[in-house]
Amino acid sequence: PNVGTGLVGAPQCGDVMKLQVKFDGSGQIIDAKFKTFGCGSAIAASSVATEWVKGKSVEEVLTIKNSQIAKHLSLPPVKLHCSMLAEDAIKAAIKNYKEKQDKANGETVETIDSTYLHGIGS
Amino acid sequence: MATASRFLLRKLPRFLKLSPTLLRSNGVRVSSNLIQDSIEPLDSFWRIGSRIRHDSLTTRSFSSQGPASVDYSSVLQEEEFHKLANFTINHLLEKIEDYGDNVQIDGFDIDYGNEVLTLKLGSLGTYVLNKQTPNRQIWMSSPVSGPSRFDWDRDANAWIYRRTEAKLHKLLEEELENLCGEPIQLS
Repeated sequence: PNVGTGLVGAPQCGDVMKLQVKFDGSGQIIDAKFKTFGCGSAIAASSVATEWVKGKSVEEVLTIKNSQIAKHLSLPPVKLHCSMLAEDAIKAAIKNYKEKQDKANGETVETIDSTYLHGIGS
Repeated sequence: MATASRFLLRKLPRFLKLSPTLLRSNGVRVSSNLIQDSIEPLDSFWRIGSRIRHDSLTTRSFSSQGPASVDYSSVLQEEEFHKLANFTINHLLEKIEDYGDNVQIDGFDIDYGNEVLTLKLGSLGTYVLNKQTPNRQIWMSSPVSGPSRFDWDRDANAWIYRRTEAKLHKLLEEELENLCGEPIQLS
């Protein structure tokens, strides 16, 4: 539950990017990994993304913009889409992490509720 | 049945509107095909009609934020996509070529090769437009707004970037005017 996975891109287009972020208890990203199929720029962009998210909070990593990645890598115009993919991957990973957190919290509440109801019934 | 034909009648003028322009840019051979197409089998209209109905039911979810996933159930047929996208790109090429004659930009150059439209504005930056056939999109890379991916929207009759709901032609008009200081009419 403390790992968020983002999978973006379309296989037909030749670019698929998987980015995973691992959070510690205080909501900071302690590790990040990527697996990318695609052009060199896409791989470089996802690599930079993993470097940049480490040590940051959810709010901070969501401010990472494709334009910053593109600038950092000096991507040519036609490759700006790769940096966009990396930004999407970060967002997707965070979204997945939040969903997992919500689900974990939801289940806890549900368990308590049903125990409570059982108590009433018996 | 009645609703379906009403729907077709509504879409028909739009379809026909497209043909004269295609006709001009693609020459006689294509135009005769088009005429043949449009008087010929009613059932081809039925096919198009049902597809449109299907689309309008399934693709109205314009999400303004977060990564947009491709809805494969409602993508354009490849042939139709090429027709629309080629028309758009050739049209932009023509218009922007003319525009280049009217503005004084060092290093202005527009080139269409290998299905990629490249517009160089010297030190102001470079635009790249290309077809992304697998997901039926036109991709644009802009020195102003960065990367964007446009889907064909039948209701708006325009290429629209789902995340911002920006229209391709309008976005280019605005950006080019700001960059080069002269208005340009693209649509």
